[in-house]
Amino acid sequence: MKRKAFKGMLLGASLLTVGVGQAKADIKFTEYDMPNGLHVILQEDHSTPIVAVSVMYHVGSKNEDPQRTGFAHFFEHLLFEGSDNIKRGEYMKNIQAAGGQLNANTTQDRTFYYEVLPSNQLELALWMESERMAHAKIDTVGVETQRKVVKEEKKQRYDNTPYGQLINVIYENAYTTYPYRWSPIGKEQYIDQATLSEFMNFYRTFYVPNNAVLVISGDLNIAQTKDLITKYYGEIPKGTKAIPRPTEVEPVQKAEKRVNFYDNIQLPAVILAYHIPKQGTADYYAVQLLTQLLSQGKSSRFQKEIVDKQQKAVEAESFDLGNEEPGLAIMLGIANMGTTPDELEKAMLGEIEKVKTAGVSEEEYKKLENQAETDFISQNEKDLGVATNLATYYTFQHNANLINTELEKYKKVTKEDIKRVAIKYLTKDNRLVVDYLPKADKDKAAKHTEVKK
Amino acid sequence: MKKVTLSILTLALCSATFAQKLDRSIKPKPGPAPEIKLGKTESFTLANGLQVFVVENHKLPTIECNIEFAVKPALEGDHAGYQDMLSELLLSGTTTRSKDKLNEEIDEMGARINVGAKGMSGGGLKKYTQKIFDLMADIATNAVIKQDELDKIKSKTISGLETEKNQPDAMVRNVSAVVNFGTNHPFGEVPTEETLKKITLSDCNDYYHTYFRPNVAYMAIVGDITVAEAKPLIEKYFGKWAKKDVPVSAYTIPQVKATKVAFAARTAAVQSVVSVTYPVDLMPGTPDVIKARVANTVLGGGSQGRLFLDLREKHAWTYGAYSSLRPDELGGSFSATVKCRNAVSDSAVGAILSEMKAMQTDRVDADALQNSITYLSGNFAIGLEDPNTVAQYAINIERYHMPKNYYQNYLKDLSAVTAEDVMAMSVKYIRPDMANIVVAGSKEDVAEKLAKYSADGKVAYYDYAGKPIAATTAMAAPAGKTADDVFKKYIAAMGGEKAINGIQDIKITGTSTIQGMGITITEIKKAPGKYKQSVDVNQGGQSMTVQKQVFDGTKGYQEQQGQKAPIAGDDLDEITQEADIASDLHGDKYGVKRSLKGMEAVNGSNAYVVDVVNAKGKKSVEYYDAASGLLVKKIQGEGDKLQTSEYSDYREIPGTNGYKVPYKVTESGAQMPVITETVTAVDVNKGIPDTEFN
Repeated sequence: MKRKAFKGMLLGASLLTVGVGQAKADIKFTEYDMPNGLHVILQEDHSTPIVAVSVMYHVGSKNEDPQRTGFAHFFEHLLFEGSDNIKRGEYMKNIQAAGGQLNANTTQDRTFYYEVLPSNQLELALWMESERMAHAKIDTVGVETQRKVVKEEKKQRYDNTPYGQLINVIYENAYTTYPYRWSPIGKEQYIDQATLSEFMNFYRTFYVPNNAVLVISGDLNIAQTKDLITKYYGEIPKGTKAIPRPTEVEPVQKAEKRVNFYDNIQLPAVILAYHIPKQGTADYYAVQLLTQLLSQGKSSRFQKEIVDKQQKAVEAESFDLGNEEPGLAIMLGIANMGTTPDELEKAMLGEIEKVKTAGVSEEEYKKLENQAETDFISQNEKDLGVATNLATYYTFQHNANLINTELEKYKKVTKEDIKRVAIKYLTKDNRLVVDYLPKADKDKAAKHTEVKK
Repeated sequence: MKKVTLSILTLALCSATFAQKLDRSIKPKPGPAPEIKLGKTESFTLANGLQVFVVENHKLPTIECNIEFAVKPALEGDHAGYQDMLSELLLSGTTTRSKDKLNEEIDEMGARINVGAKGMSGGGLKKYTQKIFDLMADIATNAVIKQDELDKIKSKTISGLETEKNQPDAMVRNVSAVVNFGTNHPFGEVPTEETLKKITLSDCNDYYHTYFRPNVAYMAIVGDITVAEAKPLIEKYFGKWAKKDVPVSAYTIPQVKATKVAFAARTAAVQSVVSVTYPVDLMPGTPDVIKARVANTVLGGGSQGRLFLDLREKHAWTYGAYSSLRPDELGGSFSATVKCRNAVSDSAVGAILSEMKAMQTDRVDADALQNSITYLSGNFAIGLEDPNTVAQYAINIERYHMPKNYYQNYLKDLSAVTAEDVMAMSVKYIRPDMANIVVAGSKEDVAEKLAKYSADGKVAYYDYAGKPIAATTAMAAPAGKTADDVFKKYIAAMGGEKAINGIQDIKITGTSTIQGMGITITEIKKAPGKYKQSVDVNQGGQSMTVQKQVFDGTKGYQEQQGQKAPIAGDDLDEITQEADIASDLHGDKYGVKRSLKGMEAVNGSNAYVVDVVNAKGKKSVEYYDAASGLLVKKIQGEGDKLQTSEYSDYREIPGTNGYKVPYKVTESGAQMPVITETVTAVDVNKGIPDTEFN
């Protein structure tokens, strides 16, 4: 129970969509650029009479003004308000009445909108998505409505959820310069300060065809779909503004950072976050297998040793958020009753140390490769999964075909590589340690200072 | 020059034609409905009775295997909860594989295997098909349940239950289960700490050996496999699974004859969770199912439903309001649910009931009917993307004796549903006149306002687990009785002033469990005004102090999870009073004022309710048993910090002239699990050294 809820929170806080690696060996797709710069990827699969229609805009919280954090996510909400031709609130209604589903999410790197619906409703989805790109309704009524909704969402998912501030705290403290130092939910006062012209400017800068990829997967006919895309997207003009990308460079961390954070929780958590190389590099894949080694499956090092045998943690995980630019390998443990954060930290560091000194056995290495393969293959079970993966590979690495080939990169990792990257990246100087503690402890400390005055 | 103009003109024309071609204000019409092809299912039966269904799906090189047990097991009774535990217990090893080995073998393939009381599932890459079958068969036939694993899971489950005690969704789920299905039906059995503690190894083993049998099992294999490949493998691994007669239990469901209100009071609730619910007699695959599903969608299916349009869109009482109508072989059910703030809970219940009533009288208009049908058709199509759905359909047809072409005809039958059908189904299945209105929320702000919806004008109260509790209706105290009288009687009951003043030091040791771990709570006091409390966790034969409060009469500190902080401010006042063994006799010193508010039943006995205010203006409420005079309950703090303590099992301490100590103390609050402490030893005047309080 606890475990499930917690995983859900992590997803909510980070909107992680791509995990370890994906793609069956042979996903055929067609891709092309439209004159207005919109990149289109079409994947035909008639196994079920449905289609997934998606648009990924290459804009996330890292493109925000530091004085306007939360902007990209707020914008995602705003774009459900309607358009010149779609009345307020009709996005959801139209899709549901067509027997479909829709949603959207925002990460530090991109914003993703999608609909899944019976294939005879493809044109409806194209109409609605193109309306969103062509002339979304951005007015004071919508802004005011969504300000309330986003604040409620923030309360419910971040402030009022146990460990809800986890991702915020990690990224805020792990980065000093690069705009990963805040997360998509941002600070609510900034959204209150933002003016309508700022929203319009953001829309015209980032929500343009030349900053987006349209991916459709499922029961479709390529030629007919191309015609429909021309019909709905052809007349949308190319963006005229320069699309700014962050130019800051995060300096190499030179010494361990330690932070205490207090929240409304019962059991303390310990987080170790290490800076890791950029997605797509050889070392990145080795780090992925290393995190699997630590926490994927009941026989993994953290699960077997720290959770089951020593019972020092009720949960111990290791993961990264799939950032576009150099991100973090995050190890997280939630202390069992009677275990102090220090003891849990020692146990986690002990497991990391074992990898650095003793490395990985042949059996374990085989297990990691098999897990990577299973994950890679099964993540393309559904049309929406295929669409999401194609869009992400294209947006971050300009190579949608990684959906077929990325597994090779995992296969190239040797068991020596896993030991090597543990030694290279999981170092004391390269880490942030967060003790995520029950608020009750802080209240006592606060009272103490009061008295001293 | 001319040329250029011309090209500009052509361009203009082009875009003009384009604009003409596309009027963006027109919502596109759907194309012709796509043909839905259900994957072909092949089946065979083993000699031991195992029925196997194979659905080929070569999209990915993976396979999936699901086993479903069609059983009506014996009721769990006062051992409720063991069936849920099987999901972990049955993965803790077999006769030939230890728990570690089993986990390793599953992870090695990157595969997954899950088990439950009513079935099993496993899946992974095609190349591991044999191994997956091998492991699943081993678990199905040779699982070994060990006492230490049972103990571990038991304590984990009990601590998990703690978090449910003030969780509104769990409260509504439990109360609904009980009022809808009663105690003579498996759906009405709710595990509690008491039932969980009674679970034995043989409960689990008996269930496993009785109901995990091939002759009551349906197996579905889906994925990159043919029936020719599957059959010999299934024969090989599951052929030896011994069949055995499986007993079939009969259950009964209480008849809901009139609408009633069932209320679970929740501490510090600002929002109510509401479910209007009742059992329905609706078997899977019967002709009513599709029509009734449309009726339910018109009422409460998603953002088009009448409930959503009324409660959210029109009134903004809630974020969402939905209904469900679930067919089930053992007992179907209807429910309409909403979460809303205290002030509008009453109106929201009223609105749900009116919308339900309107389903029987207001004919659904053509658009709403069509939208509901399209919505359900889309869901059906999207559901088919998961090949397991197709396999499940094949099992359903066999298990519930449905027409062979039921799912082939599903969309056709769905689109044939008329407004008349919807009304007829509503009259039959949507029954505001025979419903249980189940609410978890604030008793003070909400409960009695709901009485008007109950046929008998009363609200029935339940605890979090669905156990009925007597309404604690306030009564006036007898005329002339004062708080002073009540308190004097209490002092006398505690042994009198002499006995209280005779205590120089006292040590109370008690035990409890938090989140499945045994803890020891030790409290010592020494006159004048020294205090210490420590909480130790006992684990694996080792004991460790996790929390400590120490007060030497003037200053003190608190230590938790290795972090130490001085006690200051209000906490200091509180501990000073707590440290005074005879604080009850020193009310004036602490500025305590008591006033008699009335009488209320506490755990079935009448008690005087006394409002207490201290010198700092802090309020609390004390409940003194009318017969014994003893303190039985105390509520202190407000809002999120509200905490309730209950005291019982008072025992006289030998050698004290009649001084009494409650041997059972239960603490609960909005932000804490419920903790019950059982006192194991009380030592008085044994000469505790002052060094204890350093």
